[in-house]
Amino acid sequence: MKDRSAFTFTRRGFLGTTVGGAAALAAGPTWAAGKTLNVLSHKVHQTVLGADADDLMAAWKSANDADISFTTFDSNPLQDRLFREASLTETDYGVGYIIDNRPTSEIASLFEPLNDLTVSDPIEDFDDIAHGLVQGMTVDGNLIGIPVRHATQGLFYNEALLEEAGISAPPTTLEELVEQCNKLTFTSKSGTPVTGMILASDLALFPVMFARAFGGDFITKDFQLVPDPAAMEKGLDVLRAMFESGALPRSYATTKNDDQVTWLQQGRAAFTVLPFARYAQLNNPEQSNFPGKIKAIAFPGSATLAADKPMASIVEAWAMVIPKNAKDKALAWAYIKEVSSKRVTLGMALNGNGPVRVSSYSDPALISKNPLAEVEAMVLANARGAFPPFPEAARAQATMLEEVQLAVIGRKSVKDAVASIIERVTPMMPA
Amino acid sequence: MRIKRLIIGSGKAVAVAALLLWSLLPIAFIVMSSFKPGREIFAVPPHYIFTPTLDHFTTLWTRWGVFFDGLVNSTIITAGATALAVIASTAAGYAYSRNSSRFLDSSVLFLIVVRLIPPIVVTLPLFPIVNALQVNDTHVVLMVLYATFFVSLGTVLMRTFIDQIPRELDEAAQIDGAGRWTILRRVIVPLAAPGILAVAVFVVVFSWNEFLFAFIFTATKAKTAPLVISEMIGSIDGVDWGVLFAASTLQLAPVLLFVIFMNRYLVAGMTAGATKG
Repeated sequence: MKDRSAFTFTRRGFLGTTVGGAAALAAGPTWAAGKTLNVLSHKVHQTVLGADADDLMAAWKSANDADISFTTFDSNPLQDRLFREASLTETDYGVGYIIDNRPTSEIASLFEPLNDLTVSDPIEDFDDIAHGLVQGMTVDGNLIGIPVRHATQGLFYNEALLEEAGISAPPTTLEELVEQCNKLTFTSKSGTPVTGMILASDLALFPVMFARAFGGDFITKDFQLVPDPAAMEKGLDVLRAMFESGALPRSYATTKNDDQVTWLQQGRAAFTVLPFARYAQLNNPEQSNFPGKIKAIAFPGSATLAADKPMASIVEAWAMVIPKNAKDKALAWAYIKEVSSKRVTLGMALNGNGPVRVSSYSDPALISKNPLAEVEAMVLANARGAFPPFPEAARAQATMLEEVQLAVIGRKSVKDAVASIIERVTPMMPA
Repeated sequence: MRIKRLIIGSGKAVAVAALLLWSLLPIAFIVMSSFKPGREIFAVPPHYIFTPTLDHFTTLWTRWGVFFDGLVNSTIITAGATALAVIASTAAGYAYSRNSSRFLDSSVLFLIVVRLIPPIVVTLPLFPIVNALQVNDTHVVLMVLYATFFVSLGTVLMRTFIDQIPRELDEAAQIDGAGRWTILRRVIVPLAAPGILAVAVFVVVFSWNEFLFAFIFTATKAKTAPLVISEMIGSIDGVDWGVLFAASTLQLAPVLLFVIFMNRYLVAGMTAGATKG
């Protein structure tokens, strides 16, 4: 008798299995979520929501039988993609993340007004979300985005270098800051040449901060261009004097934002201005030569600044919007509501997000994890954007920076530079 | 005389060394930095001797898994685009080489003009079309776009290569009963292989590194590696330079090895027809 294998595989069986398998795959796994919400964001917005066991949205996904699919880009490409998607007849994206200095009237018209939804299907304790951030997302009377993240600028300093230079405490006024920067332009014990301060020259926020330290501004919320030219001149005078004394690096004109981080981590600069959220990176022992020694305070105003006019730092905020052409707006709003809840806002803050809820800052877990929580909350209370959104904002910023650079490196007098800013930017201002 | 030759020789050596330094230094910096501990990457003065670490590659694997998906997508798209461009260019090059008419001759100019159009000009109008066709975020759309942009240059290159193959070979094959396709497959393709490889090198390098089309036409499923690297650079919570350099090294390595391996074909492609009378 011929032995037969216990397992035989016929052609019919093979074909049947193949067809059946293909059909099963085509039908999709039965355990998959019923719906998918497509979200267009920066990677950091996805990261702060956690993943796997720490997924802050796990309960929402299960309750809504939905999955979330993130498409992430860098900030500017993200805004570009979001506006293009929202301009189509229909988009697959339910939620997009927008920066607060982008929504002009034209751009805002691409997104769903949310005023009615906040009444008919309210967000938990909506008044707890910082009012300034909510206002920043209100265009032509329509609330178009719910704030979700902010980056507020603070003054970072290297405590070890301050101690080495015999400075016992960080500055409390702008004048003290300049004095300390000059003192800290030296060669440290390790032989590293140190500059007092490093600032990127391609970002408007720094000259704006220095102007605000004297009560001035670049463009106010109500579109007044350089409302106090004398204050702007004083701010630029300080920057120019620092450049002349070497307290700003000779490479100022080519300095970028990332240089600020690496110079501080390497001990090549004593002070810089960065969002408070950079604290963890600046003190990361794997990257920094001074882990635990880089601290932050509020950027100080001038001693001449009126007591009733506190120094207004700069804040940049992100908000969640629903494109008008989105397919499932109900699901999108449900997502926004959940992300804006107290629980998720706090969870994101513990993961490194700048919380938009005032109450988050008093949470003991956040205070113990983020030593800057208290000072950040205080600075946030008075902070506002570098300038409001308007169609020619990018060109106005570039023009202003061009004049500021000429003034700081001594190619133009500060007075002439400020006059040029006013003359050149005026035609770009909204009517 | 001898001194003059020595001076010229030394001058040439210095020029070559300067050129090599100019082109290799950034690559060396990226590769070295990917193995340096994070604190030493931007140390002043620079640390040339260091204990190498694979930490950045490990972090890349754990935190930026999407980068490896991007590499897979880049490979699929590059392979598809190369195959498409090579097939189309060879067939078109053969047609241009072996046929002549007023229409064909004037269309060569059109091919060159197409190549001169900046990609951004056609990209934005294509966005709504690609969406309407529902091929956004697919490998196919990038394969077709990359191939399309290289078919013009590839065709001109292939025509030059095929021009150098004696027509008598075609005629001999024809007498033996071969049709056009048989002649193309059995006679032209084997003899024009260096040209095909040269075209392939151009398409591979372009497709592997391309950013603009990938940015406009992909989202998640077909996202390529350069897009993920751009996200790392623009990270709003700070750039992790070690991880960024690790990703750049991995992105750079395959195409660098490929170009080194195919170097002689690339030169052949660039000089094709240079000595033609």
